[in-house]
Amino acid sequence: MILPALVYLGIFFVVPFYSLARTSLSSSGGSVYLPTLEFNWDFGNYLEAFSHYQDQIVRSFGYAITATVLCLLLAFPLAYVIAFKAGRYKNLILGLVILPFFVTFLIRTIAWKTILADDGWVVGALNAAGLLPSEGRLLSTSWAVIGGLTYNWIIFMILPLYVSLEKIDPRLIEASKDLYSSNRRSFAKVILPLSMPGVLAGSLLVFIPASGDFINADYLGSTQTTMIGNVIQKQFLVVKDYPAAAALSMVLMLIILVGVLLYTRALGTEDLV
Amino acid sequence: MPPNEFDPQVLNRLATNRTSRRRFIGGGAAAAAALAMGGSVLAACSSDNKSATGTTSTQEGPASGTLRISNWPLYMADGFVADFQKATGITVDYKEDFNDNEQWFAKVKEPLSRKQDIGADLAVPTTFMAIRLHGLGWLNELGDIPNKKNIRQDLLEASVDPGRKFSAPYMSGMVGLAYNRAATKRDITKIDDLWDPAFKGRVSLFSDAQDGLGMIMMSQGNSVENSSMETVQKAIDLVKEQKEKGQIRRFTGNDYADDLASGNVAIAQAYSGDVVQLQADNPDLQFVVPESGGTTFVDTMVIPYTTQNQKAAEAWINYVYDRANYAKLIAHTQYVPVLSDMTEELNKIDPKLASNQLINPSKETLAKLKGWPGLTDEQTKQYNDAYAAVTGG
Repeated sequence: MILPALVYLGIFFVVPFYSLARTSLSSSGGSVYLPTLEFNWDFGNYLEAFSHYQDQIVRSFGYAITATVLCLLLAFPLAYVIAFKAGRYKNLILGLVILPFFVTFLIRTIAWKTILADDGWVVGALNAAGLLPSEGRLLSTSWAVIGGLTYNWIIFMILPLYVSLEKIDPRLIEASKDLYSSNRRSFAKVILPLSMPGVLAGSLLVFIPASGDFINADYLGSTQTTMIGNVIQKQFLVVKDYPAAAALSMVLMLIILVGVLLYTRALGTEDLV
Repeated sequence: MPPNEFDPQVLNRLATNRTSRRRFIGGGAAAAAALAMGGSVLAACSSDNKSATGTTSTQEGPASGTLRISNWPLYMADGFVADFQKATGITVDYKEDFNDNEQWFAKVKEPLSRKQDIGADLAVPTTFMAIRLHGLGWLNELGDIPNKKNIRQDLLEASVDPGRKFSAPYMSGMVGLAYNRAATKRDITKIDDLWDPAFKGRVSLFSDAQDGLGMIMMSQGNSVENSSMETVQKAIDLVKEQKEKGQIRRFTGNDYADDLASGNVAIAQAYSGDVVQLQADNPDLQFVVPESGGTTFVDTMVIPYTTQNQKAAEAWINYVYDRANYAKLIAHTQYVPVLSDMTEELNKIDPKLASNQLINPSKETLAKLKGWPGLTDEQTKQYNDAYAAVTGG
């Protein structure tokens, strides 16, 4: 029964991963435009990836973590309301949550450029209220990139949270109330622990793609907000230094892996991953 | 496993909307042109006769069969392809799949290195790319093209390809500065204006090394005609310094146009033809060649050595080089003609065309324009990599 899945994994994960790992340890030689890759355990690519692009690596994970936290803070109340308070409007609200995602990711991101344009009314209003720092703009700042990441990935936080909250038996909450637990206490002792699988799944689904994202930084950011995804894209497509790009991709993957392991361990729900 | 297994084109799909100098900009005019364009493509498709392929370059007699052209998006005039088909009996399979020199190269280098068909009998790379392909031995020589005599003298004799043996100029244009007068509140005349603190975070530069660095090198008193790593590095250092100050908002391909039109960017490095098109919708936009000079680019028609219809490709080039036909192209693309003595034919279409400074630059402007010569592979790679370290990180 799992054969198709194994074949799929073999073709679309193991083979590309092997190729990526091999490339990341190769060095290119030969002619300028038709370089040949020679596999020779060249760990220099990794050294270079770290030394040249540590700023971008740190920035990527800083942005991704911030975006994940923002997603969690925004999504939890929403998922809670949908699961417990929406009543017969549940499906309607869920539909509305999903609706924007029928529009392609790229278009939605570019739309933010128009909405947040320097001469647009949003920035104008915020400036008039004195809410923006000295530069007086939103686009091309770190916050625009983090905002874009939060906006684009939040659905992957809402849905798992909703599913795990929805599964909670309301009688458990009633029971906690019967035992004279305050609202806050039953949230902390009953609802939150039972929703942990959703928190975990949602965080991973947001954090992993957000750390490798480059579209948001490309469109909403400036030359000082580039992420590791932008560097990888440039190395693959413009510089065409495949070993360097592959090494950067491996570094990205490894850091995500370590981060995810630490996180799941901290949340104590290792068996869910 | 062969090297370079990754297919950059797949990755590239994710990063669409980048770097096409010809990506069409603006509102109504663009939409109308797009419709017109669609029409001519449809015309080409509907009469496409697949059975006619397989005509080889060695065939004698007049050109016939199918000609597959790979050109930049919206680099064609309405009805042009259909007229060519009518005049020659050649069926044209016209594709707008040439979007970026380096990315196109990444796509075709594997098949071309094995002498496999790349799905095009004629393509339109920029000069530096044509030279690279020629250097790799991947281009056929151009055969008999009577109208070649109409090419501008400076292009015909250009040192990169004297006599135009393998690359036939298609369009030329200026790389200069475009600015939004409403945002700058003053006229922009020189490179130093880019670094004015008043425009902090509102300047965009090209990420392409030649187009981006050329005018900056010239402002530093250096020349693009005899560049060295030293002079290029000096320009890169300046860009790096300004980037770190927060002066530069973005490094762009062709996507500078939207930010410029919306006012997010006050001054952008720009291509002349784009600005002519943009001005129709936003009269505040101006194009200027900096006082210290700007560079030019020339896109060229080339025939890959895997072509299946050399004769038809030559017939196409000859047709393009007819002044009356070529004027129709210019009226649409708004770039600088590569043919000489175009005024009369342009006047027949619209007298405003010939007097437009961006299509027909004055002697003074022309004197400020310089073109990059053919660089060696090593030079190109060195320059690109050094600049990418600043633009990519």
